[in-house]
Amino acid sequence: MFRSWGQKLEHNPFIPYLATLKGKLDLTPDIKLLTLELDDPGLRDNFDYRPGQFAFLSAFGVGEAPFGIVSVPYRKQGLEFAVRRIGTVTRALHELEPGASTGVRGPFGNYFPLEEYRGKNMIIIGGGIGMAPLRPVINTILHHRPDYGEVLIINGARTPQDLVFAPEFNLWRGAPGTTLELTVDRGDEEWEGRVALVPDVVKELAPSPQNAIAITCGPPIMIRFVLQRLKELGFADNQIVTTLESKMKCGLGKCARCNIGDKYICKDGPVFTFEQISGFMEQF
Amino acid sequence: MTRFISKKDLITWLEKLIQERILIAPTTKNGLLLFQPVSEVEDIVLDFQNTELSPKECFFSATETLFAVKREDGRTELVPATVDRDTVLFGLHPCDAMGMAINDKPFLAEPADTLYGQHRARTTLIGLPCSKPTTECFCTSMGGGPHDPTHLDVLLTEAEDGYIVQAVTGKGEEILPSSVVEREIVSPPPPSVEPVPAAGISEVMERVFEAPYWSRLADRCIHCNICAYVCPTCYCFDVRDYANGGRIERVRSWESCQSPGFTRIAGGYDPRSSKGARLRQRFYHKLRYFPQEFGALGCVGCGRCIRACPVNIDIREVISDVQKLGAKIGT
Amino acid sequence: MRQELGQQIGEKARELLSSGVVECVIGYERATDGVTARPLFVYGVEDVDRLIFDDTCIHNLTRYLLNRRDKNTAVVAKPCDSRAINLLLNEKQIEREKVFIIGVACQGVVETRWNQAGETLQARCQLCSQHTPVVYDFLVGEAPPEQPPPEAYADVLEMEARSAAEREAFWQEQFDRCIRCYACRQVCPGCYCSECFVEQLDPLWVGIRIAPAENQIWNTIRAFHLVGRCIGCNECERVCPLNIPLSLLNRKLEKEVWELFGFQAGMSAEAVPPFATFEKEEKLGIGE
Repeated sequence: MFRSWGQKLEHNPFIPYLATLKGKLDLTPDIKLLTLELDDPGLRDNFDYRPGQFAFLSAFGVGEAPFGIVSVPYRKQGLEFAVRRIGTVTRALHELEPGASTGVRGPFGNYFPLEEYRGKNMIIIGGGIGMAPLRPVINTILHHRPDYGEVLIINGARTPQDLVFAPEFNLWRGAPGTTLELTVDRGDEEWEGRVALVPDVVKELAPSPQNAIAITCGPPIMIRFVLQRLKELGFADNQIVTTLESKMKCGLGKCARCNIGDKYICKDGPVFTFEQISGFMEQF
Repeated sequence: MTRFISKKDLITWLEKLIQERILIAPTTKNGLLLFQPVSEVEDIVLDFQNTELSPKECFFSATETLFAVKREDGRTELVPATVDRDTVLFGLHPCDAMGMAINDKPFLAEPADTLYGQHRARTTLIGLPCSKPTTECFCTSMGGGPHDPTHLDVLLTEAEDGYIVQAVTGKGEEILPSSVVEREIVSPPPPSVEPVPAAGISEVMERVFEAPYWSRLADRCIHCNICAYVCPTCYCFDVRDYANGGRIERVRSWESCQSPGFTRIAGGYDPRSSKGARLRQRFYHKLRYFPQEFGALGCVGCGRCIRACPVNIDIREVISDVQKLGAKIGT
Repeated sequence: MRQELGQQIGEKARELLSSGVVECVIGYERATDGVTARPLFVYGVEDVDRLIFDDTCIHNLTRYLLNRRDKNTAVVAKPCDSRAINLLLNEKQIEREKVFIIGVACQGVVETRWNQAGETLQARCQLCSQHTPVVYDFLVGEAPPEQPPPEAYADVLEMEARSAAEREAFWQEQFDRCIRCYACRQVCPGCYCSECFVEQLDPLWVGIRIAPAENQIWNTIRAFHLVGRCIGCNECERVCPLNIPLSLLNRKLEKEVWELFGFQAGMSAEAVPPFATFEKEEKLGIGE
């Protein structure tokens, strides 16, 4: 009996695809939208991914970290990532200039099953950088607008400057049957919108659970309160969907780091319904 | 008839292996018995209980380069590390071979870990049976045994003036020298090993997750990484870049679920910040999550963590405490 | 005699727990090998009979006080361990009124390994002249008659006599085998930074590699962060799974501090440690 290692090992899953930074746009004072293009043309055309999936970005010499892919695959404009400067890898990524060489590993994880949600009213609730993985969800739904019911988007941040994807607000607002509600924890002189915490906005707007799916992402504390408010409104656990963040080193279910109880965020997630999460042994 | 090699011929064979390949075997250095590359057959320790560290390092190094980043004329190239030499791992006991088989499950699950796979493909395991299990050994309760050849390529059992030769795999068969002969000889019986009450442990673990037991156990734990680093089946790792001058490499190093920042994300949030939750993770990974995912316990019963723990966190005691707790809590 | 000590500690523990003076007593119990000791946290009187004390009780339990800063706790402390309490009080890590110290007059402890207890006293105990805790609330045991201690730094002096190249080669060989398990740090009462320099990413002082260069930085900086603070409990060396002689390094630094400043860490909670102050006329030991 010969062991059969070594035969299926041509592609090393730790080696990123080389990519070039094409664009860098300030979304907020600490979040940049990075646009990358894979160097290999064949790969570029075949790099398929779905809303909710993530990839590792490399800042060579510092390391790599996982980020949600915020572009949508049908727009062949490169891969977009919203990167918040919060540690050493993100700082190094911010410092890259267009033309710089970087690396992409992925796509990893599951995705939002948007096809299953066709015909439903969609409530999309994001806080801060938590809005990033929801952007491809919104853009995909709006791309197939007639397939979905009413769309309510709640986007919250600490201050008006921290609201991500401002360049797209008019596009979202302008879509038929679509409402965009912006809210901040703290306004400024120019801000005329809401000053309220995201969970309180959910409570106030009180979306109906009837034929609806709520997708939420944000800081863990926000997610917990949004969940509570939605449940008070009558949403069942399987109508509430989120995407979880975790420290990860491989994306392959090997580094044994991103588990919550017996579930790996990188393999079993990052997208979970609260029905699934409430069955977790550990808290996220 | 049984196959046999004399002690003299074994030495000649090992000398030949040292010439042709890297030979890694238990040797003593600074009073520590460790698996290390050897250049002289006489340095090999044959009669031992357990090495301080497991031989997992031959496949999953404490630190290993995954690839190098080469930059030339504005072009970037990633050069993967590859394993380009054959190795013989000599003298490992059945428990350590089983440890490798357990590590194969996560590392070789698709998409397979390339470097680990290469190390495995290019290494031949020549094992020795365990003749003197320690008081803290419990391999038989974890599905192994002191004479179990299953996960080895060759097993050499000392008998008369030499060794009984058992080629377990084709890879093992290929490496055998022509000095192996047939002889009428009987294998000694395996020694007995003290059992632990591991039957059904994985199911019982599910019931005791919320028990205050784990935080009480963690009172004593100092949260060092010793247990994970001496363990043949602990496989958590960290990946970061190493930069020195113009040299850039992505490296992987051992890490442990016990270390304070293991699950802390940039920005400071840590879902597993309490000591109790961290220690519980170690035992749940071995006794519950790993069996759920891969169908085998993540422990081989080598006893290293028991011996090396500075504060006597004893997995045998944990297993029997969990059984008692589970019985008390009920189904 | 030794059995009596365990009983006396147990009785005190019973009294402290039942009167509510403390919520937990940290002491020793027999380990699962049946030979050595391990730390025991007693929360209720039903467990006080598990407490023991003998010459295998080598752990410095004061480290655990850092995990219980806001809770009333009693701790069993040998004389060497008791110095760590003064260190932690001096550095404002613990509050005196929250800690009840059950001091043990100590005749020395033996080398232990899993399943084995040595016959002779640990080398550091043979050189020890502090047989009564420097701080305690209740004392058990009897100190042996005072004897003039022999030269405490024989091995340090022997190292000092070697050439710089020899010393470098020696330490390189020791540090090469380090696996960065951080047991030395985790067990040390003086190593309580909320984020250790070795885990800091920004700035990155030392990378993740478990390799000679990084090992050397780790081990050297660890020792330097304990200059004038190491109280000589030897826990770091005891727990090292690769037998790196850390106390040799610690005691070299201890000797320097003694010679330069006449200071020994943890002898009092009030004394100003040399690295927390600066006096114009003090010797620096540099360029002289």
